[in-house]
Amino acid sequence: MSALAIQRRLSRLPGSTVLVLWSAAVLLPLYILVVSCFKTTAEIYENRLGLPQSWSFDNFTNAWTRADLGQNFINSLIVTGGAVALTIVVSVLAAYPLSRYKLGWNGIMLGLFLSGIMLPIRLASVELFTLMRNLGLLDSLTGLILVYSAIRIPFAVFIFANFMRVLPSELDEAAHMDGAGETRILFQIILPMVKPAVSIVAIFTAIAVWNDFFFPLIFIFDDRYKTVPLAISVFVGQFRTDWGLVFASLAISMAPILIMYCLLARQIREGVGAGGGMK
Amino acid sequence: MAVLFVLPALAIYGLFVLYPLAMSLWGSFFTWKGLRMLDFAGLSNFTRLFVFPSSARLTGALWHNVIWFFGIMVFQNGVGLLFAWLLFLRDQGKGRSGAAFFQSLFFFPAVLSPVIVGALWRLLLAPGGVVEWALNGLGLHQGSLTVLGNSQTALLMLIAVDAWNWMGLPVLIYTAGLRQISGQIFEAAKLDGAGSGRMLVSVALPLLMPAIGTLTTLSFINTFNQFDIVYVMQGVQGNPSYSTDTLVTYFYRLAFGAEGAVGITDIGLALALGTMLFLILSIGTLLMLRFFDRRTVQL
Repeated sequence: MSALAIQRRLSRLPGSTVLVLWSAAVLLPLYILVVSCFKTTAEIYENRLGLPQSWSFDNFTNAWTRADLGQNFINSLIVTGGAVALTIVVSVLAAYPLSRYKLGWNGIMLGLFLSGIMLPIRLASVELFTLMRNLGLLDSLTGLILVYSAIRIPFAVFIFANFMRVLPSELDEAAHMDGAGETRILFQIILPMVKPAVSIVAIFTAIAVWNDFFFPLIFIFDDRYKTVPLAISVFVGQFRTDWGLVFASLAISMAPILIMYCLLARQIREGVGAGGGMK
Repeated sequence: MAVLFVLPALAIYGLFVLYPLAMSLWGSFFTWKGLRMLDFAGLSNFTRLFVFPSSARLTGALWHNVIWFFGIMVFQNGVGLLFAWLLFLRDQGKGRSGAAFFQSLFFFPAVLSPVIVGALWRLLLAPGGVVEWALNGLGLHQGSLTVLGNSQTALLMLIAVDAWNWMGLPVLIYTAGLRQISGQIFEAAKLDGAGSGRMLVSVALPLLMPAIGTLTTLSFINTFNQFDIVYVMQGVQGNPSYSTDTLVTYFYRLAFGAEGAVGITDIGLALALGTMLFLILSIGTLLMLRFFDRRTVQL
């Protein structure tokens, strides 16, 4: 290594130290979370940072069955899957004519959808509660799926319309001349060409829905229909002294997002960096 | 034909977002008994909001949201800019991007639910928790750690947890912004003898205005919607003694009956607060977008 290269490395040292320190600040709490899952509460107090004496899965089985996190987990999967599917289907349908037809009213309609990206919907929760009660959608996973889809539709329509608008118009013109119906054109020609948009919408909708806490808090009272974040908020108080169990339930509830993040980190980075809408 | 395609999305969005929001704004001008809307009341709900005891809660919560916003601007978006700049400098002159690893790592907490993040930090910061143990071990602190139970420090702790949660967002947005700036500009500044600190302040910062605008607006919206972290870490009353109360936790208590000793709802007051918050958010967002739009440098 030449003297110049060494000097270059040295000049970068303070910067690298800062980055490594923040990495530690991110990783250390997560490391403590993971090792604590395998410890009893007494062991958590005695042995703070070390690996557990034995890799016992008791906390996980307790969280899953005794605290019934298993049911919450299934509920969250149903709600997330349902909301992602419904959001994508109706938003693709809406974005197609709004982005590719000259209708006279597509500008206004797109504007109406776009305004929803910024709307603070939590402030409408009183009227939303009354509406859900009148429709019989309280204590219902279907109710949550409908509300989450409604909230995520503006972002999805925005993304799909942006991707569809730039596709060449010869595509559907040729298909029209071959006598293909609109539904066929959309699903067999247009949709395969906007696959990146589908994955952006699916990823960010799934994260937002899986993590949401506010709507289950106001719409779900029956333990059988609680989602993971709502259950966790109860555990933290209820099992306050059983730290191992709380750590294990946090780990379980993080697992699906962690797996997805490891597989899709690049898409998520690029989606956010491009100003894609989180939250 | 086209109408049929738009209809499902419009129906769901209209019924579960636009309709309840419009009804909430409209309802804030009426008196309420429980969940029943009674008579037109003009602005009386709004005036009640500014009269004791509500006035104390309102100003407290508003103040906490304002502190939270400025705290996030400094500790999250300011520090995030520094991290992004360091990552950018590391990659300069190298073909491939080594920043991806740090970016992914820093962003990971942002994909977690604020409930999980709040619960995790509540355990770590609790009396007898690992932070207390570490600080005592290092000799920086003695005895039981009560930062979450102390009204002087609790709000700052929540802001720090929120910044930990979302640090990856400014890092990603700023690095994306820095990469769009032409390398020639930095080369020219270097030839003029500018150091890396000078380049950040005088060259990069003005060109990052769109990114700064996006982040400021997002942080503003998120801060004034802050609820989850407070609920999980300090309870819906914003303990201790309302020192971490926010506008949305106050709204929640008014709307769903956890305000006051008896815990009855006051829908009129809740809707008035909602309308006020709606105005703060929309006017604030519009002003910020305009402010940053004007300061965008065109090259």
